[in-house]
Amino acid sequence: MNPLIPLMVIIPIACALILNLFHTKDRTVKIIAIIIAIILPSIPLFTNYGYHYFGGYAPLIENPALAQGLPVSITASALNVFHPAITYYFGSAQQIFMVVLGIIAFLAILTSLSETRKPSGVYAFLMFMGVASMSAIILTDDIFNLYVFFEIIAVTQVGIVVASKVKGNMETALKYMIIGSIASPLLLLGVALLLGVTGNVNITDIIYSIKTGLVNPQSPVLLMACGLIIFGWLYAAGLPPFHTIKSEIYSRALPHGAALLQAFSVFTLVAIGLIIIKIFAFFPFANVFIVGISVIAMILSITMALMQTDFKRIIGFLAVGELGYIGIGLGLGTAASITAGLFQAINEAIITAFLFIGFGTILYKTRESDIRKLGGIMVEMPKVTLLVLLSGLAMAGVPPLNAFQSKLMLIQSSLSAGVPELGIIMILLSIVTFMTFMKAFYAIYMRPKPSTLKIIDSNIPKATIFSLVVFLILCIILGLFPQIATSYLQPLANSLI
Amino acid sequence: MIIDPQLGSFFTAGALIIIGLFAALFIDNLIKKVIGLLFIADGVNLFIVTMGYKAGGIVYVFLPGMTVDWFAQNASYPLPFALVLTSIVIGASTLAVMLSLIIILYKKHGSIKASKILGEKGNQTQSKTPGDKI
Amino acid sequence: MIEYILMIVAVLGAVIALTQRDLLKTAILTGIPGAAIAFLFQFLLAPDVALTQAIVGTAIVPVFFALAVKKTLRMEEE
Repeated sequence: MNPLIPLMVIIPIACALILNLFHTKDRTVKIIAIIIAIILPSIPLFTNYGYHYFGGYAPLIENPALAQGLPVSITASALNVFHPAITYYFGSAQQIFMVVLGIIAFLAILTSLSETRKPSGVYAFLMFMGVASMSAIILTDDIFNLYVFFEIIAVTQVGIVVASKVKGNMETALKYMIIGSIASPLLLLGVALLLGVTGNVNITDIIYSIKTGLVNPQSPVLLMACGLIIFGWLYAAGLPPFHTIKSEIYSRALPHGAALLQAFSVFTLVAIGLIIIKIFAFFPFANVFIVGISVIAMILSITMALMQTDFKRIIGFLAVGELGYIGIGLGLGTAASITAGLFQAINEAIITAFLFIGFGTILYKTRESDIRKLGGIMVEMPKVTLLVLLSGLAMAGVPPLNAFQSKLMLIQSSLSAGVPELGIIMILLSIVTFMTFMKAFYAIYMRPKPSTLKIIDSNIPKATIFSLVVFLILCIILGLFPQIATSYLQPLANSLI
Repeated sequence: MIIDPQLGSFFTAGALIIIGLFAALFIDNLIKKVIGLLFIADGVNLFIVTMGYKAGGIVYVFLPGMTVDWFAQNASYPLPFALVLTSIVIGASTLAVMLSLIIILYKKHGSIKASKILGEKGNQTQSKTPGDKI
Repeated sequence: MIEYILMIVAVLGAVIALTQRDLLKTAILTGIPGAAIAFLFQFLLAPDVALTQAIVGTAIVPVFFALAVKKTLRMEEE
């Protein structure tokens, strides 16, 4: 029993509700939000690994006092090891995911508080609510609990888009919500089928039932459940056929909102992807499907990024394209590739947030996001330009920075898994990614300034620069010492094989 | 009767999901689209409740005088019902959010046709000249 | 016997609701499948779910739709 585990979900929810009480009191809201945002990444650092059972209902096998009075038909069967309560599991991989999510949330919230004029309102509320549900999705070991927070996070994402005053946000929000309202009941149907076959919603118990033969693993119902859960996963992560709407969502949010939204997609991809691998790994094509859809995601979204003229859309598509690397890592199914995929997930969440907030400074200075109308920003803010360039280099996988390490590990693991073709595709696409980034970078920063462009005369807030520098430091640390992250991820990857 | 009530209920759920999917994908009116989404959610809820049903069973209330074994063999399975309660409420609240978005968009566009509201914006963002020189 | 009638009513009600041109009628008719499903829940030994569904499906959701129709267009556009 560990009381700190549920606090990771409860604190952001409580903070979101408290912020609503102080509506229109901007200073108070700012102070509370920043304090809670600092607490968020620090809770997981002090939490011990273990399980948390809500209501205290541990499995009977761990609770002999309760088991005494029960009939043999319960204590002698599999019911003895089943988890009766909603269970949260906190391990080393969850720890590093929570810390990274907390840091990204802290920096996104800090940036949003300093860039928006009125910090009080629904925006901060939605950000905290999103972080809470994301934490729950990472921690939960209960597939129905996952569905509930899946719905909450979908509504939260829509809310973040609606709350940012960007042209066309309402239309995109409604579109995303309609697609989401098809995808989430289908995910629920998948959960229901799993429940119907195994009589359980706890993931550990479902795996136990399938492994020990309580349930026929070749049952066609399980196959259908696998398909439906994969459909929900594709929607939540923004893999094809949902890559267009996902990148549109990023481009319709404010930059700090988008930085948080992409972190949500990355971590949802990892959390639900791991569940799919854990439960359905015995279907041989499940892994092949994950790899296939990831390759399609990479190719489609990176080529679509090449054709865009709005820099927010470009980064949106690049962010979706990078998800493909994680999917390949998870789908290859060896310990090394899963570690590499999870490491890539951490790197990508950091780098894409870095890119979104970095490019957000242009929006702050010019209120313009069409790269055809931009130019010559380098002269205006040379320091920020350098930071943005470094973020692009990090995304492309240039040596001292973090994505280099994870992409190298991915390519090595694809070679050792006997599919060198994937390695070649990954190298080619990372070159194209860099090219796309450089095209946008050149157009925005280095080209002579068009005469029509008006630059607003206000300095970039210190908080934004601070966030960018923190992201850069994280990139460099993870790039030089990748074992900091991989040593945390290794146990999870080994347990999956 | 020819078919088992549980099976019939499964078929009803399936029919509702299919009607809902049809409406959500092919009807142009946004309000009817949202009604289609409601039917999908209803169908899934009905499906889950049907799973917990036990033919000839009793409601899952443990009354004095029952033994655990007898109860376990005769009561319906309550876990799916608990899930459905949550799911009904979630469905109603997402519905409310969608309807309010539709009202806002109606004020902006003067129409509730999906092809007009959701299609137009797609054209707006896609650039006319893909290989734009920069 | 009654359960089979309810199943047919639920499906037919859904189809009829979606084929109306008057959206206010559609909104009110949405309550029919909702109510049928609520009775079906009762029959399927889930009285608590039936109560919730009876309130949400037959009262709250049709009212939401009716309000939305009142704020937008009453007749479906061509």
